[in-house]
Order: sequence, then structure tokens, then C-alpha cells
Amino acid sequence: MTHEEVSSMGTAAKLVTVTINGKKYGADEDEILLSVAVREKIAIPHLCYEASLDPYGACRLCMVEVVRHGKREMVTSCTTRVTDGLEVVTDGPEVVKHRSILFELYLAEAPKSEVIKAMAARYGVTKTRFLKKIDTTDSLGNKCILCGLCVRACNELMGAGAIGFVNRGPYTVVNTPYFEASRDCLGCGACVKVCPTNAVEMEDQKNERIMKSWSNTRVPLAQCDCCGRYYAPKALAATILARVTPSLKEEIARCCPECRGKLIAKKEILAKTGGAR
Amino acid sequence: MKIKSVTDLVAKKKVGLQKILPGKPRIAVGLATCGIAVGGDRVYERLKEIIDKDRLDITLTKVGCIGYCKEEPLVNITIPGKPLVILHKVDESDAEEIIRSVQNGGVPYDRALCQVPAWDHVTGCVMDYGKGFDRIPLYDNIPFFQHQKKVILRDAGLINPEDIDEYIAIGGYFSAIKALTGMDPDSIIEEVEKSGLRGRGGAGFPTGLKWRITRDVKADKKYIICNADEGDPGAYMNRNEMESDPHMLIEGMIIGAFAMGAAEGLIYIRAEYPLAIKRLTLAIEQAREYGLLGKDIFSTGFLFDIRIATGAGAFVCGESTALVASIEGRTGRPHPRPPRLTDIGGGLFGYPTDLNNVETWCNIPVIISNGSGWYATIGARGNTGTKVFSLVGKVDRVGLVEVPLGTTLSTIVSDIGNGGANNRKVKAVQTGGPSGGCIPFRLFDTPVDFESLNKAGSIMGSGGIVVMDEDTDMVDIARYFINFATGESCGKCVPCREGLKHALLLLNRIMAKKGTKQDLETLALLSDTIVATSLCGLGQTAPNPVLTTLAYFRDEYDALVKP
Ligand SMILES: Cc1cc2nc3c(=O)[nH]c(=O)nc-3n(C[C@H](O)[C@H](O)[C@H](O)COP(=O)(O)O)c2cc1C
Ligand code: SF4
Ligand code: FES
Repeated sequence: MTHEEVSSMGTAAKLVTVTINGKKYGADEDEILLSVAVREKIAIPHLCYEASLDPYGACRLCMVEVVRHGKREMVTSCTTRVTDGLEVVTDGPEVVKHRSILFELYLAEAPKSEVIKAMAARYGVTKTRFLKKIDTTDSLGNKCILCGLCVRACNELMGAGAIGFVNRGPYTVVNTPYFEASRDCLGCGACVKVCPTNAVEMEDQKNERIMKSWSNTRVPLAQCDCCGRYYAPKALAATILARVTPSLKEEIARCCPECRGKLIAKKEILAKTGGAR
Repeated sequence: MKIKSVTDLVAKKKVGLQKILPGKPRIAVGLATCGIAVGGDRVYERLKEIIDKDRLDITLTKVGCIGYCKEEPLVNITIPGKPLVILHKVDESDAEEIIRSVQNGGVPYDRALCQVPAWDHVTGCVMDYGKGFDRIPLYDNIPFFQHQKKVILRDAGLINPEDIDEYIAIGGYFSAIKALTGMDPDSIIEEVEKSGLRGRGGAGFPTGLKWRITRDVKADKKYIICNADEGDPGAYMNRNEMESDPHMLIEGMIIGAFAMGAAEGLIYIRAEYPLAIKRLTLAIEQAREYGLLGKDIFSTGFLFDIRIATGAGAFVCGESTALVASIEGRTGRPHPRPPRLTDIGGGLFGYPTDLNNVETWCNIPVIISNGSGWYATIGARGNTGTKVFSLVGKVDRVGLVEVPLGTTLSTIVSDIGNGGANNRKVKAVQTGGPSGGCIPFRLFDTPVDFESLNKAGSIMGSGGIVVMDEDTDMVDIARYFINFATGESCGKCVPCREGLKHALLLLNRIMAKKGTKQDLETLALLSDTIVATSLCGLGQTAPNPVLTTLAYFRDEYDALVKP
């Protein structure tokens, strides 16, 4: 969808023009600068931004320069909202210099992450001057860069609050409280999906889902009444069921999505042919 | 009894004056945390024992600290018609001698530091003690006091902080009644703006402007908060302000709340300050009892109350957004601004919130009583008023010092502090707490104001001044502060969390004589990036000790590294 199409769909926001690296682009007033750049395919590296979550500003990779009164000022593009006439430079020498050091810090912090290596290489950084952190007991396989996306998805989106930050400063890690198996984990796997460095691991074993990175939290899976397959975490199903209308509930409660599809089709046919229950 | 009018307040003032000048000898022991730490409480107990045993007609009381911490325990004595005499380095074994002298209408001369014939409490009350004791030097001639100007510390060490009557006696709460009954919110804010007062919490943001922004947002509810987190090692200005004169802070907050339209105020104070918490709690209770907090203050219909919120002593929780998170019960981690605290959705529980430092609030009553014109004549242009500094480290006269902004470092360190301790030569000072820079002796003509300190690579911070002498290893100093900052980093953003850690590793290597010239270069580059890219003030300023020591004491680094 082009920007004009989105706007013509009835959004009330005022249209503004921003200049990025000398080229003019249209955007909604107060839109997040980074999201404008992403839409317009202007490369700005970023690790902690997700449109559905509150601005967080932790990875610092998305810093760009904003020109105000002739002076350049470094800001994070994921927390900057665009205004009319905003002038942005994404790859000025200052930004490049500091961003390179940040990449070096990431290469040392998450030395096993291929995603980080590839991203850094795209911006010309292939080596780090800093001591690499290797911790063989790390449940995130030395790939975590503490962007907080998993923690925020778990809290803000799922409302589960199963994982959080433990310790502070350079000792910060993400895990369950006291590194004990979590009773709040729904097993939804949002953390796995949202992790930019593929650090979070989970595995389904028969009737259980094991959140390997989160203190081996085990979440029981629900079994389909029709086909016998284990299809979704019980706790997640229960959370979703609590939100739907009772008539639907009956239908969804017992079957996996595939069987449910078949069931509905069958019902429709029966209804059409007059054999409804 | 609730105070409803100036007449009520004047009546209370008389009661208070009776307590300060009771018409009989009064002995007051300096019992802020600093005085207690060196045995002031034992002196107090011993004096009490003797007075109680013989049922002597002497008033014994507790006061805060007058700031000369090096000379503590301090005791001051008033005998009717005679000057107030400050005794120093008092020991419990001196108690009997003190009582004996006082009963004979005198003081123990060998313990006398100085005398005060009259004291100006600035807000319209000059306390005339009397004349006599010619052998004892005048307060104004004591080098430690001579160069100071006491505005914020005008009552500290002289009145009993646990008794609201004594605060009222020296002019307290007269500014509050003036503001609430005689001024409208706009004219109060205008006064604060015209005074030029800038926030004393570190950044120097114009207070009047912040108040106006808070006043102008439309919201059903607003909060004001006092930042009493004071987490800098070596800084204790705010602690003394609260322990010695808690009502000054409360009065400032009442005026601010009225001006901004807030009904609730909070004091966010670190749990490591038990005495300050105790005295503030007591002061709040007394103010409520007198109707200075609560409903219908001074019959104006204005409602305002103050609560205390304690923090668990994380340095980063002094940062505004982390502080609010901490009060709300969330982890104390900063978030990017905007939204600012004053914005809708950005403050405490989402309501617009004004946050000011303890000392900022303490400046308000005097601005209202004496006027912005008077206030603006103190200090320098753009840096008006006085500032309290804690002068610590390897300096001869350790203590709390209050001077007009714009006073030079040399006046503070050499004239007031008398240079290095044990006759060692002073090499540098660090201003502004753990993230301040180290300024070398040759730049001691730098005026202490927000801009000049920044130009020298340092910051005002909340007012810590740590003196270093010729024996101090500057690389080790840089390492000490980076170690502190690394431990206090909240861990949210990479430059601060990882960058400081690697700066520390590099400094360790250099200190162990294993570093190279290359390492020094990396250290400098890394420091620049931490400053330029960190999310909050902690990371943005933490490398200052490294950057300034690299700039001013490069030879000490060079001597440690291989070519
Ligand atoms: C890491 C960090 C620690 C801080 N600690 C304090 C503190 O202990 N006390 C304080 O008043 N301000 C502190 N501040 C500054 C506050 O964020 C804020 O600017 C100040 O309280 C505003 O009050 P003012 O305008 O009266 O100065 C700190 C800032 C940072 C970044
Ligand atoms: S600069 Fe440091 S303290 Fe501030 S948000 Fe970043 S990690 Fe936390
Ligand atoms: S994407 Fe902006 S700071 Fe991470």
C-alpha cells in the first residue's frame, strides 16, 4: 500500500513533508520518523523498534541527525515524531562514527549472533576492539542484545509478565523471576517471534511446550478432540477463550483450527441440506 | 490550632521566639547526621543527664548543622543579652565544664570557635543576641564563614528542625501566607521567573519556566515532586537542608503547589536518609496540625498535602523518568523524552508533574519574601542566587559551603577550604558528582556557574566538590568513577551498559601497566560515543572523569602505557 492509499483510507492526520538525505517525502504529522524511513526503504539500522509497542529507544542504532536552526543534532529516529519541514541526515560522519562503535559493542556483547554480524558488516564493521562476552551457561546462547522486545511483548501485548530484566548494568539478563520455571508463561511464543537475533528458543515435545531460554518453563499443550493432535498451549487457549462470545467458545474449545474448519464446513452443508441439528 | 491569618501566624511567631530566646541560657547541639556521626548525640545525652539531675534552669535543644563539619561536634550557647557562641570539637567530657560556665554566665573559652552578636535570617527577621565575650572572634572573621553567603542555610544549625514554632519565629511560613492570600498563581510564577532561579538538581533548567509549563497544561490533576534522591558519592547538601530546616522545603512546595494548581506533592527520598525522613515526617505532621497542609489552607479554599516516597538508593532513580517509574512501583529505568514529566501522559500516574530538587524548592520562600529583584542581585548574570556545595576530599576544611553562583573555585577551595589537608598541594577538583569532570588547579579561576563548568568539561551536578591533592592518582580517580557508573547503569541502553564496562576494562588494563597507546585512543573514542548516544543523563555524563583527565592529566596516562 502506498502512503497516499493509507492516508486516503480516512486517517485524519495532517500530511507533512520531510527531507531525508536531501530527498522530500510525504508523511503523516507525528508519525515516527523510523517508520517513515522503513516505508520509504531508507536504511536505518534498528533493533528495538516495533510499531505495536511503546517507543523504547534502547538499542541506539537508529540515531540520525536532525538539522535544527542550521545545527545538526543526533536523535533516535524511533522516538522522533515528524513535523513539517523536518530535515534529516541518516549517514553523516558523526552518526557513522558513533554507530560503528555501537556495532563493535554489539559484536562483543552477542558474539554468537549471526544477525548482528551480518547487520554490522552491512555498515562496514566486521571486527570489534572490545573483549567478547562468552558465557557458556547463557540460556540465550550469547545472542541477546537486551533490546527488550521479548519482555515488552510479554508484558505489553500478552499481559503475561512472565519474563523480565534480572540484575542491572552490564549484568542485566532477561529471564523469569529467580530463574524459576514461570507459572505466568502462556507459551504463546511471542518472545521467539519478536526477537531480532533469534536468541529465544522453544521446542514442542509431545504434550508440552518447553521454553528453553526461560528456565525451561514447561507449558502443557491442548489436544484436539477430533484428530488427537497437540495444537496450542492450554493457558493461551484459555486466555483467548475468555475473550470470545459463549457460542463461539463451544466451537473453538475442543478442536484444532484445521478440524474446526472441517467441522464448520460440515455444519454448513448439513444446514443447506436440511439436516441441521 | 489552625493558623488562618497573619495574626495567628504572628502569635505563633511569639511562641517560637520564646523558644529561641527563652530568657535563660539555651544550649543547642548540632545534631544532623554529620554531628551525630562524630559523637554529637553523646554530648547531648551527657548534657541532658546533668541538667535533669540538678533540675537546672537551662534549655537544651537539638539543631541542625551550620556546615563546618570539620569542627564538629558543634554546640551553640545563648545566654540572655550575650552573643550566641559556637563551640567546636566538643566532647562529652566537656559537658560539665560547659554547664558550669553557663551557670556562671559564661562559656568555656578554650572550646569557643566564634560568636554571633546578631544573625540575619534573611526573610525579615534579624535575631539580636547581644554583646560581650570580646575575647571570642566574630563569626564574620572566621575564614571558613567569611566568604560565604547564607541564604539557603540561613537557619541551619540555629533553629530546632523538629519544632515548627522556631521556623515560624524566624519568619517561616510568612512567604506562604503572602503568596496564598496576597498573590495570584501567575504573579508567583512571574516572581520565580524574574528571580532567574535555575534548577539545583544538575541541569539548571529555569524553574519559573518549568512551573509555567506545568501550570499551563490542562489536566484534572497535577503533581509536584521534590527530588531528594541525592545519590552522588560525597554529596550531602540536600540531606543537611532537610535535616536542618525541613519546613523551608515544605513552605517552598506549598507555594509551588498553589502556583501550579497541584493538590498533591511527594518527596522522593532515599531510604539511606533515615534522619531526614524522620524530621520531614515530623515537619509534615506539624504543618498539618497548624493547617498549613491539608484542606482550606489559610481559609483560601486551597487544598494541598505532601507524602513521602522512599527510594531504595539507586543512583539512576534520581533521573526524572526513572524516579516516576520508581514511585509508581515499576523498575527504575529511564525512558526517552518526550513525553516529559510535564506532558499529559508523561508524569506521575500519567498526570502532568513538576519535579524540582530539594534546594530548588528551598529557594522559593526567600524569593517570595524578599522579592525577585533582591534575589537577582545575588550571584552572576544568568546564574542568580547562591548554591550550597559539599566541600570534601583532600581539603583542609571539610564542610557545607554556600556561596553566590559565579564564585571562583579558588575562593571555595583555597579561601574557604584552606587548600589541601595536611599541607599537601591541591591538584584538581571534581565538581558535579560521579559524572563530573576533574578541573586542574591552573583553571581554578573558573567561576562556578552552569556554563563555565561545562566549558571546563565538567558539570554543576547537584553540588559536590571533591578535592584531590598531589598524591592523588588521576587515572585511578577516573577508574573509580567509571566503576561507580558501571555499577549504577540501569542496563537499558548499550553505550552505557556495555560501553562503560569496556571503559572500565580498558582502565584496569592501563592501571595494571598492560595498556597501549592504542588503548588510550580506544578509550577516548568510546567515551565520546557513550556521551553522544546514551539514553539518559547517567550515560551522557558518566565518561566526563575520563575525558577530563585525558585532557588535563594526559601525562599520567602516558606514563602507564606502552608506546
Ligand atoms: C543519573 C541521574 C541522577 C540524578 N540524580 C538527581 C538527584 O539525586 N537529585 C536531583 O535533584 N536531581 C537529580 N537528577 C536530575 C533530575 O533528573 C532532574 O533534572 C531534577 O531533579 C530537576 O529538578 P531541578 O529543575 O530543580 O533541578 C539526576 C539526573 C540523572 C540523569
Ligand atoms: S544511559 Fe545508562 S542509566 Fe541511562 S538509560 Fe541508558 S543504561 Fe540506563
Ligand atoms: S530502534 Fe531506536 S533505539 Fe532501538
